[in-house]
Amino acid sequence: MSSEHPTRAEDFDLYALGALDDAERKAFESHVASCADCAEKLAAARGRVAILAFAAPAVVPSPGVKETLMRQVIASAEGPGGSAARVHPGLAADGGVFARWWAALLPVAGAFALATILLWLHNEQLDRQLADLRNTIEQQKQELAETRHQADLIAARETLVIPLWSQKGTPESHAEGHARVLYNAKEGMMTYDGWLPSAPADKSYQLWLVPMNGAPISAGVFNPKNGEMSHMMMKLPPGVTAKEFAVSLEPAGGMPQPTGPMVLVGPTS
Amino acid sequence: MVTAEKRAELKATDASLIDRIVQRDESALAALYDRYAGMLSSVLNRILRDTQAAEEILQDIFYQLWRNAAQFDASRGSLSGWLLVIARNRAISRLRRHNPASGDELNENTVVVASNLESSVAQQQLMTKVKSALDNLPKEQRAAIELAYFEGLTHSEIAQRTGDPLGTVKTRLRSAVETLKRDLHP
Repeated sequence: MSSEHPTRAEDFDLYALGALDDAERKAFESHVASCADCAEKLAAARGRVAILAFAAPAVVPSPGVKETLMRQVIASAEGPGGSAARVHPGLAADGGVFARWWAALLPVAGAFALATILLWLHNEQLDRQLADLRNTIEQQKQELAETRHQADLIAARETLVIPLWSQKGTPESHAEGHARVLYNAKEGMMTYDGWLPSAPADKSYQLWLVPMNGAPISAGVFNPKNGEMSHMMMKLPPGVTAKEFAVSLEPAGGMPQPTGPMVLVGPTS
Repeated sequence: MVTAEKRAELKATDASLIDRIVQRDESALAALYDRYAGMLSSVLNRILRDTQAAEEILQDIFYQLWRNAAQFDASRGSLSGWLLVIARNRAISRLRRHNPASGDELNENTVVVASNLESSVAQQQLMTKVKSALDNLPKEQRAAIELAYFEGLTHSEIAQRTGDPLGTVKTRLRSAVETLKRDLHP
């Protein structure tokens, strides 16, 4: 058989199976070693015989085998000259130590990342709340200053309290309107507190200081919300002495001089 | 839950995993282990009937693959076939107290398996097919095949074990091989 091809096709399978006795086996090997065609046929026969393994009952190896194997692999990779060439496994690799570290650390890293994001969001929220509080404090400071100013104005001996009332001929809708002006000519300060029904959409109320001489001076434009009081405080032009205060209904945004009906009027004396 | 990386490992070909092993990617070896350890464990246990010995060989085979993957030429043969041949050879050597095979098994045992065994489904299908083919053999032929494959007995050893004439054993094995070839590789 050493110089001739095997006479039967099954010889390849029988050799691969290991069934040939010594003499037959040696003769077969001697020929195949120098015959590419037969070597190719033997490779196919080995494959045909190999799959007989599937006749064996299925047995799953214990997990410890893989763990020991991977430890062995890691140890060899970390040996002399091994670490430089080593490629660390990806996160999905469940065999390597680094993979297991990653797998263990990943939830922790995720928790840290989430906690950082939550803390950042919380910090942002706190910053916004702090900014709102600062604005509120500033507003309250201004309101307090105004209140103090108003209190000082009221307490001042020269301050006049001037009630403003609706006039005859005023539309009935404004008949219940009323207001009060605190006027301190010496300080050149005045405040207005009053109630009026909401102005029509295209109209605004305008407060006027009517001086002893000259044309009325606008002291502010306002649009009270329905049912709410209006509050205003303003500095008056120096050297002006008021004869009366009045509120007129003007086109929205106000006018340089009164054009509409006077809905409230209050003389200073 | 199967991760995207795990799915990628499942889809990777043996050749690509071998390439990664050559690049010292441990995860590739782990993937090949997951793919073929069960198949090898079954045949090792069937031959040795000793779980500890079977697991020692199993570990050793994959460690050899790790060390010598660069020598494996996927174009010359299939990894699954090579693993099966090596596992059987080593188990029979252990069983018969022969010296273990030399370290050059990667080059010496070119094995071509017609079926692609890279998926567990393919392995399961082949298992069904092989068992069915063996079940269809005459009882004596099947026994002869199993003695040869799982115990590594030659014609003469089978004849001695069974008490049948050597010629009868040879005929049975030859017939069994022909039938299996026809049934499993039409």
